[in-house]
Amino acid sequence: MATDVSRLVDAENGRISRRIFIEQEIYEQELERIFARCWLFLCHECQIPRPGDFFTTYMGEDPVLVVRDGNGQVGAFLNVCRHRGNRLCRAEAGNAASFTCAYHGWTYRNDGRLVGVPFIKEAYHNALERERWGLIPVAQVESYKGLVFATFDAEAPPLREYLGEMAWYLDAFFDRREGGIEVVGGLHKWIMPCNWKLPAENFAGDGYHVTWSHVSAIRAGFGGDFRVGADPTGVALSPGNGHCVMTVGANMNADPPAPEIQAYEEKIFPEIVQRLGPRAGTLKPVAGTVFPNFSMLKPTSRTFRVWHPRGPEKTEVWAWVYVDKAAPPEVKEANRLAGVRVFGPAGVFEQDDMDNWQACTQTGRGVVARRHPLNYEMGLGHDRWNDDLKAVASDYRFSESNHRQFYQRWAQLMAAEKWSELKS
Amino acid sequence: MADDLLRDVEQFFYREARLLDERRFHEWLELFTDDVRYWMAGRRTRYPQSSKAITVLAGTRRDDGDIEDELPLLDETKTTLIGRVARIDTGMAWGEDPPSRTRHIITNVEVEPGATASELTVYSNFLVYRTRAETEQDLYVGARQDVLRSVDGAWKIAGRKLILDQNVLLPKNVSVFF
Ligand code: FES
Ligand SMILES: [Fe+2]
Repeated sequence: MATDVSRLVDAENGRISRRIFIEQEIYEQELERIFARCWLFLCHECQIPRPGDFFTTYMGEDPVLVVRDGNGQVGAFLNVCRHRGNRLCRAEAGNAASFTCAYHGWTYRNDGRLVGVPFIKEAYHNALERERWGLIPVAQVESYKGLVFATFDAEAPPLREYLGEMAWYLDAFFDRREGGIEVVGGLHKWIMPCNWKLPAENFAGDGYHVTWSHVSAIRAGFGGDFRVGADPTGVALSPGNGHCVMTVGANMNADPPAPEIQAYEEKIFPEIVQRLGPRAGTLKPVAGTVFPNFSMLKPTSRTFRVWHPRGPEKTEVWAWVYVDKAAPPEVKEANRLAGVRVFGPAGVFEQDDMDNWQACTQTGRGVVARRHPLNYEMGLGHDRWNDDLKAVASDYRFSESNHRQFYQRWAQLMAAEKWSELKS
Repeated sequence: MADDLLRDVEQFFYREARLLDERRFHEWLELFTDDVRYWMAGRRTRYPQSSKAITVLAGTRRDDGDIEDELPLLDETKTTLIGRVARIDTGMAWGEDPPSRTRHIITNVEVEPGATASELTVYSNFLVYRTRAETEQDLYVGARQDVLRSVDGAWKIAGRKLILDQNVLLPKNVSVFF
């Protein structure tokens, strides 16, 4: 029996029940109706450039093996042996033509086919239908500008349609120049004791917290003049389907303070406007979330990350640092350093975030605290559809407009039995 | 290496550990040379070279500890270390308010000659216990490789490379120093 979440999310009045951040049954429903249904980010194509390159990740709590097969085709499968359910591939990444399960030795090719079963003749009397017991593929896997996504739901709309108008905003992070982006080194992985929606909504629309949560890092010189300069501008945008972006005005400095980066950004700005169109000349996207759990950031540090759910009170973060592929080496290096020093578990900005999200989750254990809704009223009645920006836009740089859109979409998905019940 | 040199280096490390545990960060910063590189990374999970779990198609296999070009957790200079301490001094570094209570345990010290006559390469292990607020607790465990340089008769840290043994970090953040 699904929980009726309609009374828990009152986006119209900016009230959200704390139950959605703490209750196990709601979490289980999220795994079914959000994570087993939405397009989820897997990896960037540059992580698996050659045939046989693989990367293991998760979709929700399901372990997934992403692999480029011998024909160069990217596939994604449950990283689960069909025999007794052992985890098949135990490494984070590598290159392989085939994978052998550690339990009884079933072997799968990197296109998912079951090709080896010990004692198939003697023990199975050749009766095992190997072609039926290959790895379970995801329902759909597609890339957008090098970002590989997959969904477990065959009925989910194609990726491009799922992203909708968010695609343009993704371009503004990941396709500003010819060649797009590449990731730097590996990635940061760590556990945060909080509900996954807190970081997702934070990157979706919480410009508000920056000036207080991160004031220490800004004062110590790690943030440049982002958002502390005179007359800051910007709006929160929701281009639809629960996706959200925060932007600043084109006049604002939205880049790490390193001189190499500042000079580079100034130089390429006209090129970006040329490539992305006039909208890029009026605003700069700085952070956002592709519903439900893929977030990105551009100023202070260039990172994108997945918030893997691990129970109502736990999130496993996987965070990458990225650079324009066409950037000169000194700019890439400056971005790498900004990425490491400012975000990630030791980042001077990010280390303060986890602590807040933890307590925002854990105080909800109190049954009385849980009776009182959370306040998402900021900017109520001050957000409306903007035709130029093709998004619901706030009228001030700080607003909870994006949060409300995010949770409205969340509630729709949690209520719907299947995609056909949802309007995009 | 002479016993008294080893004792000397150990005493230097213990004093450093006490400065950190007593949150005397400004005195701690003075232990570093201006050209220090302070670097920390976690470990990866890979198939070992000898593993028969996969048949390798292309490329070379890499070991778990082969992490030089991985994304580090920290890649600091003297200036950014000073910045990190200045951040805590603002009284608004919320992740350290209330502050972490740490205990730095430094062991397995091995002293080797360094690249120049005035330098030593020193290997050690660290175990840092962190507790904070009411019930928070974390363990940061790993290996350390230092370059110690003799400057005016005192040791300074001219390079520090830290390997944290976890893959997915279990602590929610790395807000303490090592
Ligand atoms: S569980 Fe994989 S071979 Fe038996
Ligand atoms: Fe933050």
